Amino acid sequence: MRHDEPAGAGARDGEPPEGTTAGLDLADPRAVLSLLEADQVVAAKQRSRFGHRNLTPGVKALLWSMRVYVVVMLVLVVISVLRAIHPAP
Amino acid sequence: MNRPEKQPDSSPYAAARPTTDVAAESPLAANLAGLLTHEDVDRARDRWRVSRARWRERGSKTIGGLSVLWLLIGPGVLVFLGENDAPSMLSYAATGARFGIGFFLPFVVLTFLMGLVVQEMTVRLGAVTHRGHAEMIFDRFGKFWGFFSLGDLILGNFLTLVTEFIGIRAGLGFFGIRPIIAVGIGLAVVISTIATGRYWTWERITLALAIFNGLFVPAALLSHPDWKAAGHALLTWTPLPRGRGEDILLLILADIGATVTPWMIFFQQSAVVDKGMQPRDIRAGRFDTLLGVVLAAGFGIAAILACVPLYLHGINSSQFEAAQFAEALEPWIGHAGAALFALGIFEAGIVAAIAISTSSAYAFGEVLETGHSLNRPLRDAWPFYSALLGSAAAAAGLVLIPGVPLEMIVLTVNVVAVLAMPPALVFLLLLVNDAEVMGEQANGSWENAAGVTVVALLIVAGIGFGLGTVFPHWIHR
Repeated sequence: MRHDEPAGAGARDGEPPEGTTAGLDLADPRAVLSLLEADQVVAAKQRSRFGHRNLTPGVKALLWSMRVYVVVMLVLVVISVLRAIHPAP
Repeated sequence: MNRPEKQPDSSPYAAARPTTDVAAESPLAANLAGLLTHEDVDRARDRWRVSRARWRERGSKTIGGLSVLWLLIGPGVLVFLGENDAPSMLSYAATGARFGIGFFLPFVVLTFLMGLVVQEMTVRLGAVTHRGHAEMIFDRFGKFWGFFSLGDLILGNFLTLVTEFIGIRAGLGFFGIRPIIAVGIGLAVVISTIATGRYWTWERITLALAIFNGLFVPAALLSHPDWKAAGHALLTWTPLPRGRGEDILLLILADIGATVTPWMIFFQQSAVVDKGMQPRDIRAGRFDTLLGVVLAAGFGIAAILACVPLYLHGINSSQFEAAQFAEALEPWIGHAGAALFALGIFEAGIVAAIAISTSSAYAFGEVLETGHSLNRPLRDAWPFYSALLGSAAAAAGLVLIPGVPLEMIVLTVNVVAVLAMPPALVFLLLLVNDAEVMGEQANGSWENAAGVTVVALLIVAGIGFGLGTVFPHWIHR
């Protein structure tokens, strides 16, 4: 592969890269970068975050209600299982 | 589109945003070129195959062409065939044995449609953000809510993993294989799938194993199902189930839990990311998910039909465990049919053990911000692989300890999955409606209506279970 131009140019469109018909030289970092989206590269992902969203009172209430729901239901599951294991005479 | 919220000044991170920019054209390209990992190179290789296939099949009327679909299917099929796991297939078996052909056939189809609505959202979320579900919850909602969500996942996954090894033990037990050997075989298969350090190989091996979920189809055919009754039931939802309300309610919950569970959300999103899918692959990802739904629904219904002879002959299956269904079916579907059923339970346990342990490991790696990809060599991502193997080994070991209440775990696992699902779905819905994260791939009104309906149905089912537990006399009438 020629190194004076981006390796795998046009690779995202599926065109065979310059100077080759069979494949891509993935030892060349430019070939790798030409196939991945900016946010797909591990090093790039490690450097960026979407950051916390603003949790409105409505969203907080929704999340808390879901948490209470799970806790109550888990207690009921335990009761139900105990009943199944030790059925009333 | 709204710009992302600015990070606090103290944050060492840049603000991420939804983008389809090629990395080579990014301002950071020069820096990134020196920081590429084995994972990046493997992912680029997978993308190159997809690019070439797209180029070859340009103009094709199918979604990018058959070879593109072949390359892009995986997470959707795996998640649904993985969820056709040992406890799920036993729930279907119990459904057929206790209630025959009727209400539950279309009900199972409905649960799979619910699953399709949910899992399609994970495809979009993964393809757009290139981040796993646990990572996104921690990013957007913070550690407080993140750890709650992770706790639900880890508890549910571990209990489910235990039931998979119960299924593996029981399935091979039908052939006279000792529990310790059966569980060892299961663990060896999990280890062998990750030994290559390559997502693509792992996915193809697991897909090849998952297709054996279809063993329930010949088992069903050997039971000579009444196709007319099955067709009538699918169209009319009748006859309605009769019997103890408690049993019916438990099976309704178990059948829902056999199709929509939190691990599926975490698994498919992370697998979409690990596979390297991009927004342009979303249509193929939807097809992959739909294919998984069709296959899994078909195999689930086959398990119900295979056990209908037990209902027709009045066999009491209420206390049956895994292998006992196969043994009880032998007089009606023959030894070959019973063996296929037992092998199906074994396969269901194996594939689910692989998928669920991987789901736990992805979440673990994402939260700890350590390497979390099946494209990483073992030495580079040992915490990720340790979590994967450690969870599988702990579950396998628990199954072998005498006196552990395995029956209780089996009874509980699908119910716990249903009850933990509404909070998981609320996080998912909030994320896919988040324009800062999803950009133009955010949910539309139809997707939201479908998603909210699924949450409402799950909550109604959960409340029904709760009322039945607190006021058992109500449903005993």
